Amino acid sequence: MRNSEDVRIGLRSILAHKLRSILTTLGVVFGVAGLVSMLSIAEGARREAIEQIRLLGTNSIRVNQLVLTGEAREEADRKGSDGLSPGDVRLLQYALPNLRGIAPLRFVEEPVLVKNREATGRVVATNADYSGVTGFRPAVGRFVSELDLANAKRVAVLGAGAKQELFGFRNPLGQRLRIGDSWFTVIGMMEEKHVQSGRSSVIQLRDLNKDIYIPLTTAQARFASEAGVGIHEVAIQVEDAEQVVATAEIVRRLLERAHRNVSDFEIVVPSQLLAQAQQTQRVFNIVIGSIAAISLLVGGIGIMNIMLTTVTERTREIGVRRALGATRAAILRQFLVETLLMSAAGGLAGILLGAAMARGINAFAGWQTVISLESTAVAFLVAAALGVAFGLYPARRAALMDPIAALRFE
Amino acid sequence: MLIRIQDAHKQYPMGEGTVHALQGVSLEVERGEYVAIMGPSGSGKSTLMHLIGCLDRPDSGRYWLDGAPVEDLSDEELSALRNRKVAFVFQAFNLIPQLSVIENVEVPLVYRGTDAEERTRRAERVLASVGLSPRREHKPSELSGGERQRVAIARALVAEPDLILADEPTGNLDTRTGAEVMALLGELNRAGTTIVMVTHDIENARRAKRLVQMRDGRIERELSGAEKESLVRRYEAVAGVGTEAVP
Repeated sequence: MRNSEDVRIGLRSILAHKLRSILTTLGVVFGVAGLVSMLSIAEGARREAIEQIRLLGTNSIRVNQLVLTGEAREEADRKGSDGLSPGDVRLLQYALPNLRGIAPLRFVEEPVLVKNREATGRVVATNADYSGVTGFRPAVGRFVSELDLANAKRVAVLGAGAKQELFGFRNPLGQRLRIGDSWFTVIGMMEEKHVQSGRSSVIQLRDLNKDIYIPLTTAQARFASEAGVGIHEVAIQVEDAEQVVATAEIVRRLLERAHRNVSDFEIVVPSQLLAQAQQTQRVFNIVIGSIAAISLLVGGIGIMNIMLTTVTERTREIGVRRALGATRAAILRQFLVETLLMSAAGGLAGILLGAAMARGINAFAGWQTVISLESTAVAFLVAAALGVAFGLYPARRAALMDPIAALRFE
Repeated sequence: MLIRIQDAHKQYPMGEGTVHALQGVSLEVERGEYVAIMGPSGSGKSTLMHLIGCLDRPDSGRYWLDGAPVEDLSDEELSALRNRKVAFVFQAFNLIPQLSVIENVEVPLVYRGTDAEERTRRAERVLASVGLSPRREHKPSELSGGERQRVAIARALVAEPDLILADEPTGNLDTRTGAEVMALLGELNRAGTTIVMVTHDIENARRAKRLVQMRDGRIERELSGAEKESLVRRYEAVAGVGTEAVP
């Protein structure tokens, strides 16, 4: 007897009891849906982590300036700390042994104009290390150089988005733009960084593509505010990822001493934040995974229950088929295929529902979700395995029936 | 010799004790014969029927079906033997309710591994021969009792069996449709098919060429020709024509 025949017979019998079959498969549907959405969330989180690591680097440390208010401000003034400064950067440069690069960042709040076009991004004043530290390279032209810094030159490097805003499709190299009251010459354009928008992120990233980079020294000379020439952020890159945590600790101690114990900065280690975020996600995955597992188990028991009923109901049919020459194996296969069809249909429906749930989670919770081929395959195989596991007992029961007793069954 | 049974014994556990369903039955049936088995309930006729139909094996004794010894066969071999040699016609028709008429007829061929096209072709042919071609897509529940039994006979015929085993084939039918079904079986026998029928109905038994009477797990007597006729007439005189009679 061919498999296609088993499938046809199975479908017949499933369709003969439509409502019952649907209710039976619901457990599997929900279980698989839970599994699919869980896997999609896990996969989304994994991709997000990879992307953030790509953007920030695993071996990077960020020091952010904190804006103090009220009493804390007064205390800072009394103790004589005025936030992150170029002095701190020099201190770290001398004190840290395993630095690959250190880039101070200062955001300049000035409008950027080319004729009547205005850039919406920020002007970031930094040093020559920035490109190396962030792994963010110029696509055309060059980045800010030591010479630019030494001479406080009025040069600017555009992010891909900023270039689009200011120059459209024209070549910006050598063109001039105005930042505040000063004119700058464009010397380079950065490669485009793909940052997905609208996703949750453990680390707030601004859209790097809209940034406009100028030498730090130029900003200090031309755009000094009343708060002085403070640094808003320091990006540090160490030799390798294992030193990140230890180095971050050294940075904290050095800066605490330099700032006389005023907490006017925070240290961010992206890899640690990612690990934390992944930990949270893992707990979530375990919860959903358990629910999915329980649902699958209940679904499997439901299928087994219905199949046992079906086998009893169809005792006569089994007897007739045996009398007409069906072997035990053929009967076993018939009922196993029927269970398998139900669980596979439940699996497919579950995958669709799971995909919809993943969409919903993405829309309402803002978590990135990715339905991968692997997770779909895993979910489907789980459903199929469930069908075999829970279908085997009823099918065996059908196969082992005494044909004579089965024929007499009322 | 199609059927050759030698001193078959069969017993079943039943509650506390055992039922000695067959206590040394020997029976020989030639190819092309038409045999009716009669006997009161519990006389062992059903057990004998199951034995002949390879649904069961004797506890002791020997059974050859078309020369092949049956008592040593495995369950799988018995299934194959049933499929090829034997066809059943049951009192309760025993069609599969969720399958259409033609699909029901195809079932024996499915287990034989016949391909779908050939199956349909053969099923259509036998359905035509029992006059049910217009009903081929109907479900059994949409048919009358007589039609259902004709489908069951078509299902028996499609396998081209050596032997048709009919268990009270008219038991669930009214007199007229019962007579039609019996006429159909008679035609089949005239065309060469061996028929063994279990029945209570003396009218049915009359159509058989040979009558086997059972009692208490043994064959009480075998009658044929004039002996059979005189027995049948005696029953008719006592019980009236067509009434169920238990000798």
